[in-house]
Amino acid sequence: MPVLLIIVPLLALLVLNLPWMRLMNRLALWVGLILCLIQFFLVLHSPSFFWEAPPLWLGRLFLFAPSLDYLSLVMFLAIAIVGASALLVCRYSIHDLLEPVKPGACSHKRFLVINLLILALTGMNGVVLANDLFSLYVFLEITAVASYILIVAEKGRDAFEGAFKYLVMSAVATALILAAIALLMLTAGDLSYANIKLAMSASSDSHIVLAAVAMLVVGLFIKGGLIPFHGWLPDAYSAAPAAVSVLLAGIVTKTTGVYTLIRIVLSVIGFSDTLENLLLLIGAASMLVGALAALGQSDFKRMLAYSSISQVGYMVLGLGAGTILGLAGSIFHLFNHAIFKSLLFVNAAAVEQQTGTRDMNRMGGIAEKMPVTGCTSIIAFLSTAGIPPLAGFWSKLIIIVALWQSGHIAYAVLAILASLLTLAYFLSMQRRVFFGKLAAGFENLKEANVWILIPACVLAAITIGVGIGIPWLFETFLLPIRSLL
Amino acid sequence: MSINFIFEPIALPLAAGIIALLFRREQGKACAWFCTAVTAAHLAIATYLFGKEASLTLPWGAFGFEFSLKLYHFSGFIMLAAAGFGFLISLYSTAFMNDRRFLNQYYAYFLLTLGMVNGAVLADNLIVMLFFWESLLLTLFGMIIIGQPQAFKTAVKAFIISGVADLCMMVGIGMTIYMAGTMTMSQIHLPLDTWSSVAFVFLMIGAIAKAGAMPFHSWIPDAAVDAPLPFMALVPAALEKLLGIYFLARISLDLFVLNPRSWLSPLLMVIGCITILLAVMMALIQRDYKRLLSFHAISQVGYMILGIGTAVPVGIVGGLFHMINHAMYKSCLFLSGGAVEKQAGTTDLAKLGGLRAQMPVTFICFVVAAASISGVPPFNGFISKELIYDGALERHWLYYAAALLGSFLTAASFLKLGHAAYLGKPAANHSKVQEAPAAMLIPMIIIAVLCLVFGLWNALPLNNLIQPILGEARLEGHTFAGWHFSVTLVLLTVLVLIGAFLNHIWGAKRAGNGLGAADHIHYAPVLHPLYDKAERRLFDPYEIGLKIVRVIARIAWGVDRGIDYLYDTVAVKVTYAFTSGIRKAHTGSLLAYLSWSLAGLIVIIALIMGGI
Amino acid sequence: MTFGIVYIALLMLLLLAGIWTVMTLNLLKSAIGLAITSAILSLLLFLMAAPLAGVFELSVCAGLITVVFISAISLTKPLTGTEARARDHSRVKRFILLPVIIVAVAWGLYVMHPHLDLPLPAADVERDVRQVFWNIRRIDLVGQILVILAGVFGVVILFKDHPDTKGEIPRTPDAGRRTTDKDRPDTKEGTPA
Repeated sequence: MPVLLIIVPLLALLVLNLPWMRLMNRLALWVGLILCLIQFFLVLHSPSFFWEAPPLWLGRLFLFAPSLDYLSLVMFLAIAIVGASALLVCRYSIHDLLEPVKPGACSHKRFLVINLLILALTGMNGVVLANDLFSLYVFLEITAVASYILIVAEKGRDAFEGAFKYLVMSAVATALILAAIALLMLTAGDLSYANIKLAMSASSDSHIVLAAVAMLVVGLFIKGGLIPFHGWLPDAYSAAPAAVSVLLAGIVTKTTGVYTLIRIVLSVIGFSDTLENLLLLIGAASMLVGALAALGQSDFKRMLAYSSISQVGYMVLGLGAGTILGLAGSIFHLFNHAIFKSLLFVNAAAVEQQTGTRDMNRMGGIAEKMPVTGCTSIIAFLSTAGIPPLAGFWSKLIIIVALWQSGHIAYAVLAILASLLTLAYFLSMQRRVFFGKLAAGFENLKEANVWILIPACVLAAITIGVGIGIPWLFETFLLPIRSLL
Repeated sequence: MSINFIFEPIALPLAAGIIALLFRREQGKACAWFCTAVTAAHLAIATYLFGKEASLTLPWGAFGFEFSLKLYHFSGFIMLAAAGFGFLISLYSTAFMNDRRFLNQYYAYFLLTLGMVNGAVLADNLIVMLFFWESLLLTLFGMIIIGQPQAFKTAVKAFIISGVADLCMMVGIGMTIYMAGTMTMSQIHLPLDTWSSVAFVFLMIGAIAKAGAMPFHSWIPDAAVDAPLPFMALVPAALEKLLGIYFLARISLDLFVLNPRSWLSPLLMVIGCITILLAVMMALIQRDYKRLLSFHAISQVGYMILGIGTAVPVGIVGGLFHMINHAMYKSCLFLSGGAVEKQAGTTDLAKLGGLRAQMPVTFICFVVAAASISGVPPFNGFISKELIYDGALERHWLYYAAALLGSFLTAASFLKLGHAAYLGKPAANHSKVQEAPAAMLIPMIIIAVLCLVFGLWNALPLNNLIQPILGEARLEGHTFAGWHFSVTLVLLTVLVLIGAFLNHIWGAKRAGNGLGAADHIHYAPVLHPLYDKAERRLFDPYEIGLKIVRVIARIAWGVDRGIDYLYDTVAVKVTYAFTSGIRKAHTGSLLAYLSWSLAGLIVIIALIMGGI
Repeated sequence: MTFGIVYIALLMLLLLAGIWTVMTLNLLKSAIGLAITSAILSLLLFLMAAPLAGVFELSVCAGLITVVFISAISLTKPLTGTEARARDHSRVKRFILLPVIIVAVAWGLYVMHPHLDLPLPAADVERDVRQVFWNIRRIDLVGQILVILAGVFGVVILFKDHPDTKGEIPRTPDAGRRTTDKDRPDTKEGTPA
């Protein structure tokens, strides 16, 4: 029945767009939020009738029996949380042009953006559910297409440029993935993960298979924005509207890039020395280059974008350790990153909306005027930098321990160093934006409104809660990862 | 014995000290009487506790650490003495201190010091003792610093010297605990082998530094000038001697078994002799009442260390007896100095003179105490010194000779002090000087009387206070009470005293006044340059240490700069070089980004296809 | 059918047509180039015995889309002469290395002589490809619906909006500017005042 996670949003979208429902487009936000909340509680309470019931008429209708595991549940949870945050930010930052325009030609942009957000969320649910390479490809495309459009939702030069870069690079990735799928199809004759894995183990040294693996992995690297395939990422993240940045940085690239990579490595390719070395190398490069690049940014969102590259590096590094612990750290960091990076982008949205600029050199002392935003951003950045006892510390710790245990001591040391760099650029960000003397012109600055403070506070609470509750979460959150390998 | 009573000597002064802090600045008088009342009550309790035995053990924290106290004869004795001095000096302070600033702080530190000393004495656990012992540093610092605005330097000096010594003691305690396997003092009995000797030396450093022996003495003369005078009478003259010698006796008698064959015994004796001679030589040339006394406070410690260092019963008894005697007459002397300072307004000997007529009671008390310290029969100082001489002679005649020479110089310096301050011509502006108030006289009189009593009826303190410390087994049936000294020794002592007197007459006649009576020694050919350098503190271990520390600090500063440079400049430059490189690379050109991806793709394909 | 000279020739043609499509300045020529590319591709598909795919490719890509493109292009206005020359100049600079790269890659492949071990090892392929793609996965149909929906929303959001911009990229004075790391955005763009 998990297939309902795709079907229900689709039906909701269709209902929302029925002609006689157009005037009720205020409902869209609530529909989206309710969908996210339902998903959230379905994961937390995991009622067995939903997740485990044998496929009834639905299964026969769609001929689709997704095999769910722990990893999927974590992703559903993250998608729900980030999706809800993005929807709330959308309510805050995208102004509906209902009033200024003539009643007949109302533009209801917020409504469209919300529709697209729901579409993207549905696509990601599909990515998580997919157990077959072609379905995976279809849902990757849904997410990607929705994202391109979302980035340009507010128009503007930068937005078009960012979206275009994303589009082109993503097209390259898509081409590579499609080519890989074709090659694997030739080899296995089928596209389900299980069958391809069987075929691959039968002919693991075939050059065709290896070329397919390489192209698949590179395609996912591009989707995930890893060095040196990251060119589109800073532009797309920083040019996108606030709500879309939250969604993109928090979950889209993580689902389409990192989660898919983990899933493919686990379910299809399997670990090998070469692959591990490749992942370690790319992960470490992303981690360091991302952090160093973030250090030199003066645009708030651009800095966060590079920070995102750096954090994705950590996840890939954890995966590259090739052990259960590394995998656990990677997934845990993915979840934590979804929370704290969304939080940072939510804060960035609030700051941008209130001050009208993203240039950190022109800000200063904002925490005085926007205390909630200031506090939550401190929590988020401490978590990102891996300061105990916040959530980010534990996942980084697990990744570093995993690297150490698997004998990659140099990489573990690099991870620690990159953590210092993270601290450095976030401290510089805090100093320039939130602390210090109030910059000129911000005397009348007000705290952002409640629509954005709610997601900020909730995300901050999750970060703290996960960090402090780690001894309890260890049993339920980390140990089940054992079942994956 | 209930728990209350063994806690009382610690808890009452500490609690009262904290209450004293609550007094406002203008309530100094009330605070003084409060403090006197507390010390009186404390004296009563200490008297009651004396001679009783009790112990208390409470588990405190983890790791088998126990808060254990033990009251027995020795600790009861020290507590009683401390309580007595505490009461008398508190009484004295009510008159002496009444127009000073920071009175509430002064009395708070006073009471806290008393409580800490009691705690250190009662503690039966080395760590607990160390805790109280170290806490004394804080009150010491506070007491000195409230003396005058420029006392800060002295306070720091005292703090650092005591702190270094306490650090040594901490090391010693650590080693002792490791070797003994227990922290309980009454269960430690270590034989003196190589390592335990090292531990002994560390502990000894802590003990003799607390007592003020050389080379840990140099803060005392400075403090004498800067700190409030009752502090001098209470802490360096009385409590610290009691505490330091108490601990020295504990480690020599209980914790370790110091015997004459060990190399530690000569070590202690040599330290004792050097302290006696050097300090008294310095005392001889001082021209300030309080500073002169403070050097004697150092010098007399030498006798105690010498006595305990002999490791023979008669010497130990002499050392311990000298400890209590010294505490009495030295407090009395400081109190007389305080009286002079209060009434005449100065302690500079050059500006004093002829006070005998104006302050007769103070003068008599001074004479009694000075006779005691010089070892004039039949005062108490004579008895304890004779016992120490006996012990020293039992080991080697050289120690005896050094002690005797010290005695000569002591007598000479006190003749000089008495002559300069109380005899001679009255100073011009001192015609209106009057006798000190009763609250200051009473403590002096009591102590002076006790000096005489302890001398004439020496069996009273020796049998009741001192000899039980050693125990019947060590005494082997001897008793040292009474007057059965060797005639030769007594004769020699008397001869020395007469020599000192003649020397003084000659010197005073030569210089024309009492103050210059020691000038012929001061300006003697070899001694003069040495004295000169000593006065400029060239021999002060603290100053030498400071110089060394400054050099080390300079080197460390250089190293630190280097490391800072590495972090602040090199690391940052390298990071920013990378960062700006990366910034330059991100030109925003899609073509560039695509080429990177293409290159990455080719490399990865090559890697995977070539690698597997 | 063997992997003969015909295929290689057609593939070369396909590549050339693709490059021309991308490189040409004129949108009309570009659209026609795309149509030619599609036509060659469908020819290849026919030759490779995939007539269904060939028909789809020819009708949708070469036919329908080209018609849509050309009708849209006919609504635009061409560049002025100076603008065209400036662009020409920059294009030469930008693509001057392309032939070199193509030759280098070709030479590299020739030297490496990768041994692609065709025929394929999947001996037990009992399912038809069409079966794999369509018959057993109706969930992908849902995906298709979603993609179409996304496209619809995209069109609505991009072209049916803001009376002031009319979906056109505003031609700002710094039209040649690119978003780089050194940018310092001064104002938030796209937010209504």
